[in-house]
Amino acid sequence: MLEIDKLSVSYGTVHALQEVDLTIAGKGTMHGIIGPNGAGKSSLLDAVSGRRRPTAGAIRYRGENITQRSVAWRRRRGMARSFQRTNIFQDLTVREQLSLVAWRLGDERVGDVIEAMDLRDCLDEKAGRIAYGVQRRVDVALALIGRPLLLLMDEPGAGLSAEETLRLFQHVRDLVDEREIAAVVVEHDVDAIFACCGVVTVLDLGRHLATGSPAAIRADQRVIKAYLGSAA
Amino acid sequence: MNGEAAARAGFRRGAFVAPWILAVAVALLVFLTGAFAPPYIATDFVLKLADSGLLLGILALAVAFLMSQAGLVTLGAASVYGGVGYLFALAMSEWSMSPLGAGVVALIVVLIYSAILGALIIRTTPLAFMMLTLAAGEMISHAVLLDGLRDYTSGADGLVVGFRGTFFGLEADNFADPIRFWPIIWTSAWGIALAVLLVRRSRLGAILRATRQNEERMRFSGFDTYSPRLAAFVFVNVIAGVCGLLHVLNSGFVSQESLGLGVSTNALVAALIGGTATSTGPLVGGLIFAFAQDQFGARGFTQLLTGLAIVVFIVIFPGGIVGALGNFVRRIGGGRRREVD
Repeated sequence: MLEIDKLSVSYGTVHALQEVDLTIAGKGTMHGIIGPNGAGKSSLLDAVSGRRRPTAGAIRYRGENITQRSVAWRRRRGMARSFQRTNIFQDLTVREQLSLVAWRLGDERVGDVIEAMDLRDCLDEKAGRIAYGVQRRVDVALALIGRPLLLLMDEPGAGLSAEETLRLFQHVRDLVDEREIAAVVVEHDVDAIFACCGVVTVLDLGRHLATGSPAAIRADQRVIKAYLGSAA
Repeated sequence: MNGEAAARAGFRRGAFVAPWILAVAVALLVFLTGAFAPPYIATDFVLKLADSGLLLGILALAVAFLMSQAGLVTLGAASVYGGVGYLFALAMSEWSMSPLGAGVVALIVVLIYSAILGALIIRTTPLAFMMLTLAAGEMISHAVLLDGLRDYTSGADGLVVGFRGTFFGLEADNFADPIRFWPIIWTSAWGIALAVLLVRRSRLGAILRATRQNEERMRFSGFDTYSPRLAAFVFVNVIAGVCGLLHVLNSGFVSQESLGLGVSTNALVAALIGGTATSTGPLVGGLIFAFAQDQFGARGFTQLLTGLAIVVFIVIFPGGIVGALGNFVRRIGGGRRREVD
């Protein structure tokens, strides 16, 4: 589904990501990305989704080099993302924004997303007036419209309790299984990542440290030393 | 049938009248009354003020549309408004075109100009956009004074723009006479307001509003955020062009003054006074501004009026007069509903 080849991202003289190689498998994969602050997790997602131009390297999506493609182009071809800070239309009702995006992406089954994200009760509320946890679900719902093939999620649990985060992750896990899509999830909550993701990648100081199953990552001494510590 | 039953029956009968039919009927009544009553009850002077108020209101409507839908402020509306007058005059005098042909050519030039200018500046930040529209407007304003163009523009003296024949079946006198011009400008204002309302409620309007709120999310939802804003910019410039055409037909004169920043800021203030979020607000704002300017201007207080209006309608009534009235009516309606509950 996604092949990342020696990807580097720099902010001036700061190297956020250095020659990272990564492969995200296709249908039904939920791939977690973890690492300490400054590891380059969000920079990786930004580069893959087109939000930030990489300084070097290539991104191949479904066999095509998309490194120079625009954000909208990627979205129309099935690559969707949600954001670390809720990124929705605050002054539109939930219904208005979901309908607008569904129209653009030609998705007539927006009701499925509403059901999946449990948004039926707040459809006619302005998004800025609903609870933060529900706003996070709207953010994810916007990414799910158009039946994406690859879902990129940047800290979907930010601002949520551990319980809410786990519930959101379970929602996503179910969607990945039901729709046979791939999801890449960046998250600090390692328990949620280990509970829901089949593959986990660890980044540290902008470099790839390890990739493997949750059990293998928990047991990896380099990961324990760099990030997990006693959490393993 | 007792009173209570009759009232209930009346209520039921009323329930069969769809709200939109009632709204259309009221709008039609207001339109017809507004088109034909004023010439019988107002003096020529008052009608002349009302004519210029609606002209300003139409220009304000263009400015307000871009502000409320795209979050962009243009300070170059007057350059199109006045520029159309010059183009209209030149097309008739230099190219011997009919008045209608000259008007069409002038609007086509506006369309091309705004498409090119918009393509260059629409991607910039709102502040840069505002300053670039100002810069473009000021350059056009200065261009009419250039010696090389003096034969065509008459420099600072301005151009007298008369026409022979008819424009949409109307002779020049129909436009010059304030009484006969009133139904024309009134109908034009309603037509343009309706067009603006339809665009606001269209998919384009929804895309513009969503882009104004969160452009990044729009791009991440697969939208092209450039073309809709460019379309909106061209749309408001065409409105400004139509308004400029009506102005030059009415006044029979165009000068550098009508291209200047003063006209653009007056339109902006009129939009703020009436409210930018509706199609009626800027028109109401234009009328209020014209009458207030007449009163304040006679005493030399025009700048004071402008300053006061900006402060009051940004700080106290950000939704303008129409917005404040709408809130008031909703509050009363809400109160009544609560009483019924």
